[in-house]
Amino acid sequence: MKIHFKMTDRMRREVLADLEREHPFAAERLGFFRCRVSQAKEELLILVSSYVSIPDEQYVDDDSAGCYFDEQAMRTMMQHSLTHHESIFHVHLHDHLGMPRSSRTDIRESAQYVPDFWNATPDLPHGTIVLSRDRATGSCWYPRRKNVFEIERITAVGSKINKLGSKR
Amino acid sequence: MSERYSRQSFLGSDSEEVLTGSTVGIVGLGGGGSHIAQQLAHIGVGKIILFDPDKMEPPNLNRTVGSTAADAALETLKVVVAERMIKAANEKVEVVPLASLWQENLEWLRTCDVVFGCIDGFIPRKALEDSCRRALIPLIDVGMDVYPGDKFAIAGQVIVSIPEEPCFRCTGFVRDSDMAREEGEYGHAGGTPQVIWPNGVLSSTAVGLFMQMVTPWFSNGELPRFLAYDGNGMTIESDSRYARVAGQPCNHYGPHDLGDPFWAAMEAEEATPVPQPYVDQKHTNRFVAWLKSLFMRGGKAQ
Repeated sequence: MKIHFKMTDRMRREVLADLEREHPFAAERLGFFRCRVSQAKEELLILVSSYVSIPDEQYVDDDSAGCYFDEQAMRTMMQHSLTHHESIFHVHLHDHLGMPRSSRTDIRESAQYVPDFWNATPDLPHGTIVLSRDRATGSCWYPRRKNVFEIERITAVGSKINKLGSKR
Repeated sequence: MSERYSRQSFLGSDSEEVLTGSTVGIVGLGGGGSHIAQQLAHIGVGKIILFDPDKMEPPNLNRTVGSTAADAALETLKVVVAERMIKAANEKVEVVPLASLWQENLEWLRTCDVVFGCIDGFIPRKALEDSCRRALIPLIDVGMDVYPGDKFAIAGQVIVSIPEEPCFRCTGFVRDSDMAREEGEYGHAGGTPQVIWPNGVLSSTAVGLFMQMVTPWFSNGELPRFLAYDGNGMTIESDSRYARVAGQPCNHYGPHDLGDPFWAAMEAEEATPVPQPYVDQKHTNRFVAWLKSLFMRGGKAQ
């Protein structure tokens, strides 16, 4: 299955600006994309409609990873998903140029919490996005599928078409 | 970079890769769309999706690039004419010719990185912009008109509609009053005057804007969003209607007006029913009868 993740370039810049802010104790910041879905020819479109920044107090003080969010952050996003029937994609920044890679911790933790969004909207895909300064990568959990899908294309649309991640 | 594109290498060392990885839609393959198709083929765009249900007719021959008198006589589909021209210019381009309305091919439209709108009328323009915005696709509109008066006046426009930015209605290019008038004139539009050289000027400008969006060759300055063509003065200038709303969010398309509200996930592969082998009931009945006969014989023997 091919998946194309799209956002506006203004959104990408807004998210980068939010994620690069320092946190009082966490080593990095997290956020969530609220997304709508559409079907293109032989390609699933995931379209970012808005971004939700995690408030400082919803981070957990835990040194075993760059940062953790608490259950209130999770509940808030599940409520968004349920109320607005939206896909939720977790996002964080690897602060460098070039293609980012999900760390072992990213993969292990996302496998724990992403499927939880299906408790709110079992019929929608959910997932994760890792941004770098100029590229991006991501994974998608598709309803009723056992496998996690790598996102084929990630594009930021503006007066320039920024292809942040592409297998083509 | 291959030799074919060596003269456009100033577009960037990765421009060939970027262009071959791009999918572009062209809606309408008359005077404007045919020019754009030809240029995109030469430039090296990887995939071009063509939308036009119409067939060639003699009045199209004055401006449809790549058409022949035989096409008009044989009523060749416009998408077939465009595909033939694209393949002649660059056989590596993947062409998807769709000889039906774009509204009937929304899944194809949504695969496009950029769409060129080369259609008449305000209502169809708004409809195309609606669909592009829902899939976060930039739309480049190209159009021209000839206005009667003491002297005929040729005018036209190229407008870039980028998601989240001011739309056709924000700029005043598409107004409710124009759409209402158009609706009232439904079926009485007739053939509007069209000539090839303004089509060429406007289409070339539109392709230039597209190139600046995908493989920018200069970084200073804003991408023009609304260019007005004066075909009598032979000039193209930025239209002040965009300047009035530049930098403002769009008032007509909200951030959540995206996607397909009726989207449904495909069934899981593992849930797909497994096809059962075909069993001829006649043979089954015979087999059951044979078993019964065996049993009955056994019974008699006792």
